Amino acid sequence: MRPESLMILAALLVSLAGAVWLAASLDAHWQQLRGREAAASPRQVALLRGLGATAWLFALLLCCRADHASMAVLVWIMSISAASCAAAFLLAWRPRAVAWLLAWA
Amino acid sequence: MFPSFRLAMSWLHTWFGLVLGYLLIVIFFFGSLSVFDREFDRWAIPDTRFAAQPLPSYDRMLAPIFARMTPEADELEAARGRVKAPLPETLKPLNWSAYTTHRDPVVGLYAEYAVPGNPDDPEDHVHGHVTVDPRNGRLLRDDQLKIGSEFFYPMHIGLHITWKNLGYWIVGLAALVMLAALVSGVVIHRHLFREFFTFRPQKHIQRSTLDLHNLTGVVALPFHFFFALTGLTIFAAMYLPVSESMLKPQATAAAMAEAQQKHLPYAAAGVPAPLASVDAMVSEAKRRWAAHDMAGEVGYLYISHPGDRNSYVTIYRGGSDRVALLGQAIHFEGTTGRVLYEEPQPSAVAKVNEFLTGLHLQQFEHWALRWFYLFGGLTGCACIATGFLFFVEKRKRKHAAQGHAGARWADAMAVTTVTGMLVAALAILVANRLLPEDLPLRGDWEKRTFWAAWLLSFAHAAWRCRPMRQGLPSPAWFEQCCIVATLAFAAVALNGVTTGDHLVKTLFIERYWPVASVDLALLAVGLLAAGVARRLRLRRSVPEVHVRTANAEQAHAS
Repeated sequence: MRPESLMILAALLVSLAGAVWLAASLDAHWQQLRGREAAASPRQVALLRGLGATAWLFALLLCCRADHASMAVLVWIMSISAASCAAAFLLAWRPRAVAWLLAWA
Repeated sequence: MFPSFRLAMSWLHTWFGLVLGYLLIVIFFFGSLSVFDREFDRWAIPDTRFAAQPLPSYDRMLAPIFARMTPEADELEAARGRVKAPLPETLKPLNWSAYTTHRDPVVGLYAEYAVPGNPDDPEDHVHGHVTVDPRNGRLLRDDQLKIGSEFFYPMHIGLHITWKNLGYWIVGLAALVMLAALVSGVVIHRHLFREFFTFRPQKHIQRSTLDLHNLTGVVALPFHFFFALTGLTIFAAMYLPVSESMLKPQATAAAMAEAQQKHLPYAAAGVPAPLASVDAMVSEAKRRWAAHDMAGEVGYLYISHPGDRNSYVTIYRGGSDRVALLGQAIHFEGTTGRVLYEEPQPSAVAKVNEFLTGLHLQQFEHWALRWFYLFGGLTGCACIATGFLFFVEKRKRKHAAQGHAGARWADAMAVTTVTGMLVAALAILVANRLLPEDLPLRGDWEKRTFWAAWLLSFAHAAWRCRPMRQGLPSPAWFEQCCIVATLAFAAVALNGVTTGDHLVKTLFIERYWPVASVDLALLAVGLLAAGVARRLRLRRSVPEVHVRTANAEQAHAS
């Protein structure tokens, strides 16, 4: 695989992790990942949102490394879209597959 | 009329979304397929299944082909009706051009010919077009249909309604309504951020349908918004033709002034003169691009007034590494090959315009983005389709109880534009592989199969909607899913049998992605349709027990 393609694949995976963290900062999805009774503390929520936003920004950096800036912005926006959609389906159908992203919390 | 702004927006979203949605889903779907138009072309015309080629030599290969080209017979026939005196035996070419992209094994040649003696339009002209195999200069049969770029793509931009450009206007109107639907959709969405990632498949069908509608609409919102917007700006000059109507004298004067500033002759001199070596101009253009650190291939070659003393040649760089379509044009004097004018870097405004046009027309070389666009387009289709389902689901029992036909027709139309459209698109591919190879006007028969299949699926949907009178789901969904699965698998099998390019070969032996990816996508469609059909049959065997929950959620969901 060409290094640019690897970079874009990495951007997509980082966007997916970011989407899962951002989703986990919402009560409904935290419960999907952690079981019915759990609720995230305000500190955890802030941390999750910070992590999610950082991941999405990092994905933008990866896209910029792979392509001309005008192209990179398009790739980044679409990779966030695709990752958010994938996160929603994973949380609904296979929450265990992404629960490890919250192992630290 | 409405007690609140939100209710007004909700009304707008519901009714405009429903009525124009039937159009929008067609535009979205064929737009999504157009992302891979060249790949469908390869699938449909097995003779052209070879690697993409750069523009061949003009002097040795293209010049004699251009000289032999003639106007399209049907356009010539129509032009005869517009002029007073009979047309001359041969028409004078106004310009010749050649267009290729990094995905094209074959190159398209285009010509415009002056039609003299039209009292209503001194600039009246007709077109000529051929497709060339650049490896040997052989012309492709012109009755073969490039299903991607000559059928799916025109469907996307104009629905194949060519009368007075009506199709473009309808698509423009749909794009405008799309923007309104997006804005009103955001207004009526109660929890845009809180439910950003929300999909609850275990809840009642009406709730999970709305979840999917919101999810597919919201996550790809920037895509939907920018594609509707840029779709409109690309055709802005056609929708608001000020330079053709109100400001025609000023526009003509501006065009002449611009030509003069660039030292480009505006009109033919009427004095014949031979063209200098175009290949030499091409190498000069490539040298200049490389000097600007933008080495590249020719994307578009344009020759104005060929064979005239005032001819000039414009060479555009193929924009495969930029979002902008084509650029860095260099103009040459036709008779000498001297550089007349090199276009400077575009202004900031022109750059934005090129970016917006280029992002929609996507001729760049970026496979990841291409697949992302397919994803964006298909989320649009999913968003519209779930919108239909929600509309019907919300009303079907009430309408059944009242004896209303509204929900029944909305559902039949939804079947036609969701599964029916898939049936039609697959039918044209199957017909492409089944029709005899030497059938005259083969492409026209393929088109007829497409329209016939679509019409039949509508008839089927209308005929089978009877159970909806009792508030039950229409069996047409299940039946058409089965047809979709059958046709998709049949198309893959037929491609393997009739051309020998089966997936084992295109993936592992002689790798050829254009055909392999169409086959893989067809397999995915077939599996998905079979999966949906299975679920629908399971659902049909379970009696409807959720009526009360549905009513309880209705208040919440609306």
